Amino acid sequence: MNKDRAEMGTNVSVLSNENVETIKKKKRKSAFSWYLFLLPSFVGILLFMVYPILESFRLSFFQSNGTIENFIGLKNFQLVLTSKTFWNTVWNTFFIAFCQIAITIPLGFIFASMINSVRRGQNFFKVVYFLPNVTSIVAAAMIFQFVLHPEMGVANYALDAIGLPTSSWFSDPSTSKWGVILLAVWHWIGFVIIICLANLQAISPEMYEAARIDGASRIQQWLFITIPNMSGTFAFLLITGWIGGLQRFNEVYVLGGPNGSPARSIQTMGAFIYERGFTGFEFGIASAATYIMFIIILIFTFINLKVSKMNL
Amino acid sequence: MNQKSMDKLTGTVKFVILLIFGVLLMMPFIWMVSVGFDRTANITMPFPPRLIPEEISSFNFGIVFENGRLIQSYINSGIVTTSSVALQVGASLLAGYAFSKGRFKYKRLLFILVLCTLMIPMEPRLIPLYTLFNSFGLLNSFWPLILPTVINGMLIFLCKQFFDQLPTTLREAAQIDGAGEFRIFFTVYLPLAGPIAATMVILSFIWSWNDFMWPLVVLNDQELHTVPLYLASFSLENGTSLGGLTMALATVSIIPIVVLYLFLQRYIIQSIALSGVKGE
Repeated sequence: MNKDRAEMGTNVSVLSNENVETIKKKKRKSAFSWYLFLLPSFVGILLFMVYPILESFRLSFFQSNGTIENFIGLKNFQLVLTSKTFWNTVWNTFFIAFCQIAITIPLGFIFASMINSVRRGQNFFKVVYFLPNVTSIVAAAMIFQFVLHPEMGVANYALDAIGLPTSSWFSDPSTSKWGVILLAVWHWIGFVIIICLANLQAISPEMYEAARIDGASRIQQWLFITIPNMSGTFAFLLITGWIGGLQRFNEVYVLGGPNGSPARSIQTMGAFIYERGFTGFEFGIASAATYIMFIIILIFTFINLKVSKMNL
Repeated sequence: MNQKSMDKLTGTVKFVILLIFGVLLMMPFIWMVSVGFDRTANITMPFPPRLIPEEISSFNFGIVFENGRLIQSYINSGIVTTSSVALQVGASLLAGYAFSKGRFKYKRLLFILVLCTLMIPMEPRLIPLYTLFNSFGLLNSFWPLILPTVINGMLIFLCKQFFDQLPTTLREAAQIDGAGEFRIFFTVYLPLAGPIAATMVILSFIWSWNDFMWPLVVLNDQELHTVPLYLASFSLENGTSLGGLTMALATVSIIPIVVLYLFLQRYIIQSIALSGVKGE
């Protein structure tokens, strides 16, 4: 290979001036065609990413309903940051996301480890456990409204039948968040399991063999080989989980409408933005809220990156 | 021997636990189908819940199909999804290839820009995109749903990774034959890109089919509603009253996706895993 290169090099140096000229031209032409390859994507970036981000930054300093605009400085930010409704949505969003992540990652990892170690039916379990994740969250929310119905739902019936306390779920502001969390765990656990399984199978079997020779038990192997090797995967799930969780909108919209009923108990930041922007057409306030949300997500992603790097 | 029987026992216990939890996860689906076939479920839900309906009938499904809005929404979702899948897979193949094999100025910088788009959620773009499409008079059409999908950082990234694994020598051979960059791409590299293209189609199909917030903002016209929008509007209108109808509707909206998933499960699971393994 290197020898070939060297030969080609000498060939080039032998070439006459004319040929060098055309090679240069060809190079320029090829550089140009590379930009053509990128054209669709970068038109998209400019039009649908860069422009909207800048424009919503500008809008956040204006009072606007889409046609009439007044510059009002930081008033929108002031209004959002002093709004109890907004902070309530921040709390709801974080609470639901935290519980979803804290339950789903450990549970999903345990199930992935179990699936990885059973001899028969691995593929069957994979398919079954991932099924909730392929159904749209909107349809899932629709079903869960009935599954978790306090009087005629199958969940309360089952809880009651095995002697556990039942819950009022979506009909009471104090329990409605748990309904959303249950739905979120049910929908996300398949994803966590698939990601964990893919990475579990990437751990080299030699490590386990060496540990077995040293007399390590199954549990010890799991604690000291499997879990440390999975820290990158947990970091990935943590970050994607938080990003997804902070943007939660679809299911709470179906379950509680734009204002997250009952009593705004399940209204998320996304729902607040939708309510202000598209039911009230207060574009300035909604834009300020999206920027605050955007910054919260960025800060949180960086914290997560830092925390997970420290573990690695 | 003792160790062996011990292993067998824990294996069986694990299998049973997995089975029970699997049934638990499937419970909402099973109940959904059962109530959907229950003629009496629209007045009050059957209580205590039963697996086999008292009066099995396809009454609810009949109404769902007669109404016609579900089929219309399926057609709409189909149009939107196929167009956006084609658009984003095409654009991402081109860009991913250029970032992998191309030699041009600002390549690194431009690639970092692409990766930055991964950090930008939909919410802060919602209102400007709305006013942008409004000013072109394109609200209440499928264009706002299709066009913005042209940029997808994740797909470009996956695609670049794939082309990075293909040898550069293929290019050099074609170049000596005097082929231009586009010809090299279409005749040499694209035919090899089948596996990654399949992954990209699957991922973008799932994203596009389930997209909700942006279509909700853009489409007011009921005739244009996609499947998730129709489901949401039905659910918000009726709440937990018409149980049987709601469940029949949910069943019909889920079944085709489930069937597709069962046929393609190996590829779908691989695709999801691939999009996650890159997190390393």
